[in-house]
Amino acid sequence: MKRSNLATMFIAVVLCTSPLLIWAAKVGDPAPEFTATASNGKTVRLSDYRGKYVVLEWHNNGCPYVGKHYKSGNMQRLQKQWTGEGVVWFTILSSAPGKQGYVSASDENDYLAKMQAAPTAALLDPTGEIGHLYDAKTSPQMVVINPQGVLIYSGAIDDKPTTDLQDVPTATNYVSLALQQAMAGKQVETPATRPYGCSVKYADSRH
Amino acid sequence: MFVPREMLRIRQKPRTRLQRQKGRAHMGRLVDHAKMPERNLNPEFPRLLIFLLALSLCVVGARAAGTPIPHGTVELIAENQWITSGHTLNLGFRFQMEKGWHIYWINPGDSGEAPKVKWQLPAGLTTGPMEWPTPRRLGATSIVDYGYEDTVMLIVPIHANQNLAASGSTQLTADLRVLVCREVCIPGNAQLSLTLPVKSQPPAPDPSATELFTVVRKSLPRPLPANWKVSLAEDKDSFVLAANLGHQSTQAIFFPLAESQIDNAAPQKLLPTAAGFRLTLRKSDQFVKPIERLQGVLVLSADQSYLIDVPLSKPDGANKNTALKSTRHDK
Repeated sequence: MKRSNLATMFIAVVLCTSPLLIWAAKVGDPAPEFTATASNGKTVRLSDYRGKYVVLEWHNNGCPYVGKHYKSGNMQRLQKQWTGEGVVWFTILSSAPGKQGYVSASDENDYLAKMQAAPTAALLDPTGEIGHLYDAKTSPQMVVINPQGVLIYSGAIDDKPTTDLQDVPTATNYVSLALQQAMAGKQVETPATRPYGCSVKYADSRH
Repeated sequence: MFVPREMLRIRQKPRTRLQRQKGRAHMGRLVDHAKMPERNLNPEFPRLLIFLLALSLCVVGARAAGTPIPHGTVELIAENQWITSGHTLNLGFRFQMEKGWHIYWINPGDSGEAPKVKWQLPAGLTTGPMEWPTPRRLGATSIVDYGYEDTVMLIVPIHANQNLAASGSTQLTADLRVLVCREVCIPGNAQLSLTLPVKSQPPAPDPSATELFTVVRKSLPRPLPANWKVSLAEDKDSFVLAANLGHQSTQAIFFPLAESQIDNAAPQKLLPTAAGFRLTLRKSDQFVKPIERLQGVLVLSADQSYLIDVPLSKPDGANKNTALKSTRHDK
């Protein structure tokens, strides 16, 4: 490592003082309220869904970790299974304009149709506001909110942090576990994990 | 006879690479025509032959650059010329990445994934834990990763059994999976093989690999000096790493070995003290179970990085730090 690199590292450390880090919601906190425009044109307000379980899925159609769950049909299966049980499922698109995964509303509608995806809605978040509220770091990061509006899970979709489609059938799915345990009136055993995948492509992200 | 200038240039550039590679020809990877360029520098040589020569050198040059992975190459390099039964041979995965692209450390940080290797080894050979050079922080926003840009070599020790028959040669094959990222991420894989003789003679270094291994060893974190003391305390939101080095330090960065202990993107607050420093590390939001100890790499300057393994001080403050015994960490 060169000295100049080290200096850059220190500058980096000093600079990363985003207040968003400090205010982002944690598991056990009330889920931060947001209002967003969905790709179907409707306006979605989180608090309108109080009384239901809500799943948030951070999405980027160019990320190979997301690709694993869509090419295998795993994400669509989860969306159908859980919305079938009354859960509200929002796919969230936090890529900034010009970055990988940024899509227009009509692009996203085409993608949902092509992939036979079945979220309740796909929410456009090009400013990254919702992503930062929840401190979303990766796609596919997953969040589960209970009917009281409390964040009960945030982290990885499952316990196999790879891009390999063969890992999907043998993985333990943390979202399903959290929903099953919470619906059974139990404590969520694993309420927080490292959310594997590609970094969310916020306007300020460089990697 | 007229020789096109371009051809001369093509001949010259790969030659230096070829010479670097020649020392490794005995490893079974190269190359019968390694001596050709010395004989063929005469510009009067027939044009067709020169053209063919240039072409063959291009092939050798491409080989020397390693096996392609997304936006870079990787090469498997042996430190010694042969395998000796009862001894350890170090192999290096040498990554050379295009500008701006990176791969990941053992703990990739907020996103990404560390390289993984599956070995196909003959009976009598086993692998030890990979040795990871000191990483860099990548990104300066709400997402911070740990990894390597440009060139890096990851070392894997291969232990040869006492009873390994010293005759003939043996093939070592590595199936590598690696995630390569800049703004976007591309998973890659490569199969890398080396064929090496097995001998009973003591190991002999491969001169063409010596410098690469010398350089990378300087970038490996070392055990903490015995007279330095590091301790760890915590409050609700943070860990505080306190170091007594016998002198003040105004620089320190900590890289956690385990995921989900510290908040990777949070600023690490450094307070220089008379005999060292105190470094405040924000706990990760993903942090749910109490930890017994914090392991990782402490970087004080460009050429000073240390492995630390510090137990969390109990409220009675009765324990002391221990440095890791070895420069290798396992996971």
